[in-house]
Amino acid sequence: MAAAAEARGPGGCRERREEPRAGGGQAGAGRARRGRGGSAGPGSPPPCAGWRLGPPVRLDLEMQRQWMERLFPWQGILTFRVALLVCTARSLSAQATCPDIIVTQQLLKEGFHRELLTRVELGAGEEAIGSCTVAIKEHLPAGLYVDPYELASLQQHNLTEALMIADTIDVESPEYLATDLAILVYMKPDPQCDRCFKAMLPVHSRYHRPSKDDGEAIAVLKNPEILIYCHKSFPSLECWNYSEVEAPCSVRNGHTCHWSNVTYKPVNKEVILLVPVGLKQHGALVCAGTLLTTVLCSCLVLAAVCKHGPSSFVHCSE
Amino acid sequence: MAARRAEGQRAGAPWRRRAGWLFGSAALLRLALLCYGAYQDRTMLVKYTDVDYHVFTDAARFVSQGRSPYLRATYRYTPLLGWILAPNIYLTPLFGKLLFIAGDLTAAGLMLHILLLRGMDASKACGYCAFWLLNPLPMAVSSRGNAESLVAVLVLATMYYIEKGNIVKSAILYGFSVHMKIYPVTYALPIALHLQNDGCCEKGATDAFHFKKSKCSLMGHFWQFFSRPLNSNVLLFGAVGGFTFVALSLSFYYFYGWEFLEHTYLYHLTRRDIRHNFSPYFYMLYLTAESEWSFALGLAAFLPQLLLLLVVSLAYYKDLVFCCFLHTAVFVSFNKVCTSQYFLWYLCLLPLVMPNVKMSWQRGVLLLLLWFLGQALWLVPAYFLEFKGNNTFLLIWLAGLLFLFINCFVLVQIISHYQKGEKVSKKVKHQ
Repeated sequence: MAAAAEARGPGGCRERREEPRAGGGQAGAGRARRGRGGSAGPGSPPPCAGWRLGPPVRLDLEMQRQWMERLFPWQGILTFRVALLVCTARSLSAQATCPDIIVTQQLLKEGFHRELLTRVELGAGEEAIGSCTVAIKEHLPAGLYVDPYELASLQQHNLTEALMIADTIDVESPEYLATDLAILVYMKPDPQCDRCFKAMLPVHSRYHRPSKDDGEAIAVLKNPEILIYCHKSFPSLECWNYSEVEAPCSVRNGHTCHWSNVTYKPVNKEVILLVPVGLKQHGALVCAGTLLTTVLCSCLVLAAVCKHGPSSFVHCSE
Repeated sequence: MAARRAEGQRAGAPWRRRAGWLFGSAALLRLALLCYGAYQDRTMLVKYTDVDYHVFTDAARFVSQGRSPYLRATYRYTPLLGWILAPNIYLTPLFGKLLFIAGDLTAAGLMLHILLLRGMDASKACGYCAFWLLNPLPMAVSSRGNAESLVAVLVLATMYYIEKGNIVKSAILYGFSVHMKIYPVTYALPIALHLQNDGCCEKGATDAFHFKKSKCSLMGHFWQFFSRPLNSNVLLFGAVGGFTFVALSLSFYYFYGWEFLEHTYLYHLTRRDIRHNFSPYFYMLYLTAESEWSFALGLAAFLPQLLLLLVVSLAYYKDLVFCCFLHTAVFVSFNKVCTSQYFLWYLCLLPLVMPNVKMSWQRGVLLLLLWFLGQALWLVPAYFLEFKGNNTFLLIWLAGLLFLFINCFVLVQIISHYQKGEKVSKKVKHQ
């Protein structure tokens, strides 16, 4: 209000001399308190520290409105900050209760015939996991394969339940003529811990191309996808990120169920398999040596036939 | 005459009893292995039964449903096998193994009869048959469910009927044997030479056609064979055998189409397995699998085999069994792929060859041990490669070359100690 004259005191501070007006005394006192707290607006000079309070006067409605305008942003900021605090606290507490999914994969045995052991731990939690089935979707590179007949035999013995997501697989082709393979392995509960599952899958290496430097080729096994299917509701499932996929309910049951493909943070790096391969630099030596030996051996046999053959045949010596 | 027959019967009775005991115990041993195999399959994770037997059974199942046996992956045999093994589905899964064991015993029976035809003493013949009947290798192979004994029966039956002079029967059986497994096709040349020259094997007759002395009489034999018109026996054998083979192929082609040709014949003719096996060519073929030299090297690998087969046929066609034995041994040793199943192909002819190979039993045992040593020296680095992941390719290659050398050494020893029984051959001709 222009009526309220503003005078600048020493130091450039505002000095407001309250003109005697009706009903402004307490407001003035309040303003003085608030004035010390913060600024009245951008560009306006700071309120004076030692503000002399005039006689209690009543501020008019206009001034009240101005103060409300100045107050509102503050309230807004405060409300926002309180809300943020609450939200953060709530999310922190929520993260504290959302269990981690731990997936470990390791290759057992050595050589061309291995066993892939996968363990999935669905974190600590109170609710029972009994009604849920867990499966993993393994993506095998071209350098590895599974034998479908071996899988069928293991299924009969109830050791492994796996389903190939391909019609046929060529078990004899080398790596450079083969394709990737996807397999769904149904996990069994692991007796070691409460919400643990494990699965064992026998994998075999294919023959790889001969290498130039070291005698080893690398086959990299990516981290598997984790699929969970629960008959009853499973609260922990809600806090994990998941996408819906359709897959067979089990190996024996041909029906399709709606599985949840949960995302997880892999604990260990990808599993790497080293496959022994031939060395290209042996090529010349091997070809020469083989041909030489076969020619030598055939000459030995030919010489023996010529020498010891039946009499009607033996005229080579003549 | 009657007295002589009675005397023969009295002399014959002990050997029949002996033969009965031999065959009986061989059958019992094989049945015992069969039962043990069933037990191991049910209880242990490592199976006794060979993978091939499951392939046969699955193919038989498809056949019983009226579908193609080639729906089963890695089934690379004649559909006839799937048809024969249909009782595996209807009766018992052990039917096939029982059939193969029966084949084993039939093969031994044929060996016995061929040796008797050649004029051998009956009890001695039984002794030679014991080499097959009491040999653990054919026992294990048949009880594990491999069909090698069926091919052995067909090949031995062919030899038997040729010895007897029954051309038509031998040609039909030969057609069946080539249909089942490709390798008997190499016997065509020795059989043709044998039948062609059956009537004129006196030394004088061959000298008359002797070519130039400066060249080896290899050329002389060639000239001799091709200059004369083909014998009626050869023509008959060729016609009947060819007809049998073509009839079988056409009927199965009608049922199963191109798949049948591809899996039964073409796969075996063009097979080039780069995975480790006994063949000396394995590492060479593996390293050059994708290079432009691959075809040329394959051809180069074929030449020693071809040359040796030709020379052996021309040298030993008069004793058909010995010739076929050498043929198969050379074929298997110099082949681009060699697995232990192939050894049975010439092992079934060995009891027939042994009487004519005059070497001391010590030398024989030593050669056998040397042959086993060659296999063992290959198996050790192969085990480390496959089950431990060590890079033993060079060692496997060297072991393969050594095994080839040992095989050739054993063959050379057999050739150098071979003495064709003159009395025996004359007796056969006068029948």
